[in-house]
Amino acid sequence: MDLLSEAEAALCPVNEPSAEVPNGAAGHHLLGLIYRYTDRRRSAIHHFKQALLVDPLMWAAYEELCILGAAEEATAVFGEAAALCIQKQYLNCSTTPKLHSSTEDCNLVDTRHSASEDVNPRQLKLMQGLKDIPLNHHGASILGGTSGQPINSGPSNISFYNTPSPMVTQLSGVAPPPLCRNVQLNGSNLSTVGAESSPKSTVNSTIQAPRRKFVDEGKLRKISGRLFSDSGPRRSPRLSNDASANPNANATVVSGNGTSNSSKYLGGSKLSSMAFRTMTVRKGQSWANENVDEGIRNDVLDDSRLNVTSTSSSSSTSMEVKSNDQEAVNFQVGGQVISGSKVITGASEILTLLRVFGEGFRLACLYRCQDALDTYLKLPHKHYNTGWVLSLVGRLHFELVDYLEADRAFGLARQIMPYSLEGMDVYSTVLYLLKEDMKLSYLAQELISTDRLAPQSWCAMGNCYSLQKDHETALKNFQRAVQLNPRFAYAHTLCGHEYVALEDYENGIKCYQSALRVDARHYNAWYGLGMIYLRQEKFEFSEHHFRMAFQINPRSSVIMSYLGTALHALKRSEEALVVMEKAILADKKNPLPMYQKANILMSLERLDEALEVLEELKEYAPRECSVYALMGRIYKRRNMHEKAMLHYGISLDLKPSATDAAAIKAAIEKLHVPDEMEDNL
Amino acid sequence: MSLEMAAESSEGEEEAGKLTGGNHLLVVDDELTELGKKAAWSVSSCKPGNSVSSLRDQNLETFWQSDGAQPHLVNIQFQKKVRLQLVVLYVDFKLDESYTPSKISIRAGDGFHNLKEIKSVELVKPSGWIYLSLSGVDPRETFVNTFMLQIAVLSNHLNGRDTHVRQIKVYGPRPNPIPHQPYQFTSREFITYSTIR
Repeated sequence: MDLLSEAEAALCPVNEPSAEVPNGAAGHHLLGLIYRYTDRRRSAIHHFKQALLVDPLMWAAYEELCILGAAEEATAVFGEAAALCIQKQYLNCSTTPKLHSSTEDCNLVDTRHSASEDVNPRQLKLMQGLKDIPLNHHGASILGGTSGQPINSGPSNISFYNTPSPMVTQLSGVAPPPLCRNVQLNGSNLSTVGAESSPKSTVNSTIQAPRRKFVDEGKLRKISGRLFSDSGPRRSPRLSNDASANPNANATVVSGNGTSNSSKYLGGSKLSSMAFRTMTVRKGQSWANENVDEGIRNDVLDDSRLNVTSTSSSSSTSMEVKSNDQEAVNFQVGGQVISGSKVITGASEILTLLRVFGEGFRLACLYRCQDALDTYLKLPHKHYNTGWVLSLVGRLHFELVDYLEADRAFGLARQIMPYSLEGMDVYSTVLYLLKEDMKLSYLAQELISTDRLAPQSWCAMGNCYSLQKDHETALKNFQRAVQLNPRFAYAHTLCGHEYVALEDYENGIKCYQSALRVDARHYNAWYGLGMIYLRQEKFEFSEHHFRMAFQINPRSSVIMSYLGTALHALKRSEEALVVMEKAILADKKNPLPMYQKANILMSLERLDEALEVLEELKEYAPRECSVYALMGRIYKRRNMHEKAMLHYGISLDLKPSATDAAAIKAAIEKLHVPDEMEDNL
Repeated sequence: MSLEMAAESSEGEEEAGKLTGGNHLLVVDDELTELGKKAAWSVSSCKPGNSVSSLRDQNLETFWQSDGAQPHLVNIQFQKKVRLQLVVLYVDFKLDESYTPSKISIRAGDGFHNLKEIKSVELVKPSGWIYLSLSGVDPRETFVNTFMLQIAVLSNHLNGRDTHVRQIKVYGPRPNPIPHQPYQFTSREFITYSTIR
């Protein structure tokens, strides 16, 4: 509801500056988000770090830190200390559910409304007596943004809500039957304990039907899958212990799944199943395979999105709304019979995984794309082939300007999680840049039919129209996306691009600036502003903006080459050349910096060097007429008329645009006339 | 009105500067962009209610009606020199009869003091969009680089005094999508790397 100040006051009363933030880690996370949305970056970072200290498995907080660009290395965060911390919490947690704290949470949720990311109400349903229905949901595992539904990491604050009916709707992906079975079946159920004590905040809200919308925005947080991991290794012992009970349960679980899946397709349920599957996949535990019905996989619903972190700062307004009508599960905590060592094993397994994911994500946010890709390649096959990872990989390729690979990765991600919306806006841009109009329009249609209220779907639609050069309609679509979620920075940037295409620079500037207000690290918007100022010949501004973009993404050769162009326009040509060199080194496949370098050399009258560069360039881009045209111009300057004529001729053969054709022909006519100052544009 | 690439239209025949026919659909090359928004439009005279804004309102029902002596002038003034390639008018003999322009002269220059005629046509019962290209034969003359364009209606059909013109558009080449480049990029490799979206 955007009542950020009220929310902040609730969490951190002005009169008591030293009061402890309610709800521990989740509270810190929430506070961090509030600070982030109100542009108080340092406080935000501080609170996210606190959240991680209190609960080292809070992926949501780590992700936010990455997005803010202030994350430490994943190995540090998810390291040994973290494991010990988890163990401590685990062993200390009491089993009393706190109902009243849950009501508090509810209120927080309300206030936090759109400010927070999705709230996935925790749904741990341990249904008593619902042994046969595998409804468990990883409650802890899947974390949605911790929104006001903080389930605290504090040992004593575990709130579980009882969900009366949902069972029916929940089809949990089966996955962790252990969880499911746990409480009811065995008194000594570790998982129960695991479930409740996992400090993860929210949970996937697969349950409700309204969940559909929820799904849209998922910011899925990874779970502190402890639940799972704990259950995992213990599964076999438990199985052997409860030989009679378990196998049956298991079997029913699976079959239950099967039927329920087919009979009840509810967005939510699929979600959960998907989520489960993903979770389990993520954890890479072998039992995942046993339990998960592969068939479920294809029904995945957008909730899997929940598993995916959005790369741009998207908060889900819709999420919030839905969160309000969640029903939480009430947990009956069983006896705590956990041995400390198992906790540690479980914790360290999860941490290992989280380390890889975290490191990769951190590198991705720092735009060290190649390193991030290498990190993710270390993941076991099962984890790599999940929607979240694949769409992040796709995004990394996109940043590396390797659109074909990006297309492939996103395509795979869509096959695995066809209803996920996360990262699909980037996919639509990839298709736009590859000029694949059929695929793009298909993607857009699918996304709209999956979810009409997600900004990503409208971004894809807009890209579709933009590819058809219908910039006005594209603009309308992007504005719709902005309306749906004003905190989705990329939608603002795309609006800006369309305004520029319509040559409406004022509005373009406004849009880019709103994008930057949402996410100051959105380098596309900095780049957009730099381009506008370049066009308007405000070179100082342009250089400043390109430099900001460069600082955020120091590996992009495109940004570097534009920075060089701006410097050259400012007559700082030496610096420009240095930057161009760096750009050339950064990406061998990019012909642009070489071309620009030749341009700069030509204007510095270093014609021979320019010619050398252009000769080399001919190898890279043999059919680019501007290369030949420029060479022609240089030869003319050197009075080598035959060569000039040859090159102009070749460039004409390569079908330049009408303007250029006219310019080149004019140049040919004037070949033997002494070189007057030509109009350079 | 959409300017999409549409199917064939009935192109008028041209004989010795005469144009007949006219297209009902406006079909313009992708490389051209309409430049009228950047200009100041004025007319030599008009009847109240049928003023110059009717020439630019994207509505073919409204028209400009002059109210004075011939030649009737439409002046298009830009703030800086622009390259123009095409002028398109919508006129309709069936609706306007004696108000339909017959002889049209297009002049260009820096201002009112030094306009020079660059094109002259005679329309014969036109009905629809009439395309008047400003290019010369010489490839160097594809564009007219000018501050001001003046479209003069020298005479009408059936010797009418005043004239009706329903819409006028002027086109020039699209600017280079990448600023400060001497030439536009055509190859895929260059275009892929030339922007960030």
